[in-house]
Amino acid sequence: MSGLDIARGVLSELAKRFDDVAVKVVTRDTTMLKLWNSQPSVVQVWRDVYVNLLLGKQRRLAVLEFRVGSPEEVLKALARVEEHLVKAEESELYAPLPAPGAPKPLAGGYDRRVLDFRQDPRPLAEAMVSEALSSGAERTAGTLELEETSVSLATSAGFSGEYSKTRVMAYLRSFRGEVSGHWAYGSTYVDERAIEEVGRRSAELLELARRREEFTPGRYDVVLSPLVVGNLLNYVAFMSSALAILMGMSFLVGRSVGDAVASEVVTISDAPRDAELPGTAPFDDEGVETYDKPIVSRGKLTSVLHNTATARVFKASSTGNAGWLNPRPWNIVVEPGSSSLDQMISEVRDGYLIVNNWYTRLQNYVEGQFSTVARDVVLRIRDGSVVGYVDRVRIADRFERLLKGVKAVSRDTYRITWWEVRIPTKAPYLLVEGVNLTKPT
Amino acid sequence: MVDESLLVRAVDLARELGATYAEARFQEDVEDSIVMRNGRVIAVATSTLRGVGVRVLVSGSLGFAATDRLDWSSIESAVTAAVSRARAVASMVRTPIEFDDSRVGRASYSVVPKVGLESLGVEDMVNLGREVYKVTLGAVKQVKVPIATFTMEKHVQRKVVVNSDGAFVRSEVPRVSLAASFVEHQPGRGTVQRVLDFGASGGVEWLKEWRVEEEVGREAANLERVLLEGVEPPKEEVDVVVGSEIVGLVVHESAGHPMEADRILGREAAQAGESYVKLEMVGSYVIGNKYATVVEDPTVPGSYGFYLYDDEGVPARPRYLYREGVVNEPLHNRHTARVFGTRSNGAARSMNYASEPIVRMSTTYFKPGDMSFDELIGEVRYGVYMRSYMEWNIDDIRWNQRYVGLEAYLIVNGEVTKPVRNPVLEITTKDFYSKVTGAGKELRFYPGTCGKGEPSQGVPVWYGGPDVRLSKVRLGVAV
Repeated sequence: MSGLDIARGVLSELAKRFDDVAVKVVTRDTTMLKLWNSQPSVVQVWRDVYVNLLLGKQRRLAVLEFRVGSPEEVLKALARVEEHLVKAEESELYAPLPAPGAPKPLAGGYDRRVLDFRQDPRPLAEAMVSEALSSGAERTAGTLELEETSVSLATSAGFSGEYSKTRVMAYLRSFRGEVSGHWAYGSTYVDERAIEEVGRRSAELLELARRREEFTPGRYDVVLSPLVVGNLLNYVAFMSSALAILMGMSFLVGRSVGDAVASEVVTISDAPRDAELPGTAPFDDEGVETYDKPIVSRGKLTSVLHNTATARVFKASSTGNAGWLNPRPWNIVVEPGSSSLDQMISEVRDGYLIVNNWYTRLQNYVEGQFSTVARDVVLRIRDGSVVGYVDRVRIADRFERLLKGVKAVSRDTYRITWWEVRIPTKAPYLLVEGVNLTKPT
Repeated sequence: MVDESLLVRAVDLARELGATYAEARFQEDVEDSIVMRNGRVIAVATSTLRGVGVRVLVSGSLGFAATDRLDWSSIESAVTAAVSRARAVASMVRTPIEFDDSRVGRASYSVVPKVGLESLGVEDMVNLGREVYKVTLGAVKQVKVPIATFTMEKHVQRKVVVNSDGAFVRSEVPRVSLAASFVEHQPGRGTVQRVLDFGASGGVEWLKEWRVEEEVGREAANLERVLLEGVEPPKEEVDVVVGSEIVGLVVHESAGHPMEADRILGREAAQAGESYVKLEMVGSYVIGNKYATVVEDPTVPGSYGFYLYDDEGVPARPRYLYREGVVNEPLHNRHTARVFGTRSNGAARSMNYASEPIVRMSTTYFKPGDMSFDELIGEVRYGVYMRSYMEWNIDDIRWNQRYVGLEAYLIVNGEVTKPVRNPVLEITTKDFYSKVTGAGKELRFYPGTCGKGEPSQGVPVWYGGPDVRLSKVRLGVAV
């Protein structure tokens, strides 16, 4: 039975019992090879069917998630949900499901070669690792994931559609002595050169990390690598969701379209139609056609991400980003600038290049007050040249101040997805002035 | 539930196909939850995840496959996939993976709530959420509370673990949890934001124990003072009394995580990171003073991450991660134990059926001392008491960490005085455990969801400790 058959079958069973029904069925077939010490630690395989439901009754809402193998099992579990709905109350996030349109299909996003490598990921993994080892790494760790996904949606408003896509995620960390580097690739298709580049780039920066430097906390001009940009913009994109704003989980609370939230050289878009990136989708979870849109354009807030329900609260229109309840970005694309990485480094008198980061946490979402820890090597830049390295410093600042401090954007962008960048991102290097860096003293 | 004979059959099939070790685990996770904003329901939600995860060792290569279908044909396919993919990459394995010879169990256990979760209806959760919102608004006098959210969840987890070394363990653990958050705003002073979490294994009886309304009301009132009156923390070195909520997080991050043996060996190097601890440091490296004893114990009754057997069938027991300042016993599964030349201490856990079992914490705590709170602060002439936090993080070897205080106060001549805003404790692991000059006698636990693995697995944990006093700490302030 196809995913769309399952979705339509569940919908026909439920349409009489509820005012609003949306059924989303996702089937995935995934192989993930995890590496440690340049060899496999585990190879994992998943073949799952996710059945997700949005149910509305008397303006009350329920969201359901099932991974139980069959539609019959889903229907069995619904009795208790009806009871829950009756006892809940009308939701401020209720809106009738939208009338169906005719979304344009995806232009790409599916690569049959992913299916072949899924059976035997070894050639890609070996190429990635051997490139790192020949570029100076002593040992490596990372992940290679290959996935085929089919998404089917049927709604009580009359929408019915499906699409398929593939996904490749490759990331590698290279170690030499006490220093390490990292790179990542996330796309809908197999690109052997890009996967080899993951290995090479993860190792080549180690060459520059020759001398350990002392670190003094303070404000510095900092070059952020595409990995760091990807991580931080994942948070910015999450916070551009209308629900994040309603729930007080965003520094955009109280901000309006047109407000300056970043430097004029910054344009950040949600890009579901970028078929190179694995978040690509032709329609959202309400069946609304997706389209690319700037969230921040030339430094100004341009779009908050909406589904039909949040759009009603904000007196706006859906942006094709449902998520039932929670609108979410599909892919993030940063508009390239005109600088090369070398030019950026040459402009820094007293600063750093941060290769990678993790553990971004906020003291206050409304204020955008956060910190994040550098992992892998942090290159010390003095008078336009890399002179050595420090490690594990921390960026402790505010999102808006950081975005407003961007002085330059690189012309090259990179397709990044990894453990700390879950929303696929096409990210450049950014040169940011006056970033607050700390470390225990 | 699953036909358990199919799990046995799966293990047998894997062995026939050449696996030297095989395990089949049925796992079902059923959750019901609500989401509220400003005292009104946004939605109710349910989640049901049920399936079988199969793990095999073939020629020293580890394979895992999962299916959400419980028929034999699907389970058989999962076994075949796990074996064939493990075999496909075996030529890349230079150091074959082996498991230790730990004793595994044949047992059945469950957590029996005093008041069953079935008696907790949606209307009860909604009423509690409304009451919490009312209390939050009523607790503040001057500031506005523009946003307050409330989420609540009940969760039942059932597992059956079978493996080729004879394990056969059935378990059922119900859990209840909730989170209340609020933003307080005052023009000219900005905002403060707080999330309070509650969680445990068991049933509805926990709601009385937690006194949620009272706790949220107290916090809302105290944070209004922080927002209106908070001053910058001292710039000089001072004594700092770290509240049990922060102490719990500190031991989770800087004792629990670095003592996960898979991290020490580099298995998480590209994800959750490695550890400052190296294999040869175990049993000898001094990380702190005599106060620095950290215990990890999955068997604490009522704990959020409670279990009696791990997902490899190994019996759970308390582990002393740090003992009186010395790096003592890492958390092991059967693979890491083999590498370390010891036996597993039962730390393998899986988030759901589709997750491989990996080394995890359960309940981690700083061993209490014998001092009252008044005694702890009584000897401080000038210092800071940090009671709660929002922002925290730690580097990927678990050495350099940061906690930003939310509810915090100056201590002057042994007394808690005016509030302090956003003090930053940024400290190394060795400094923290070496600077302890006193530990309270009251042990408190806090819930969390700990993330690790690829795909990332979030598992419920408790972390805790007493209030702890540190000497000569230079605090920062969040910008």
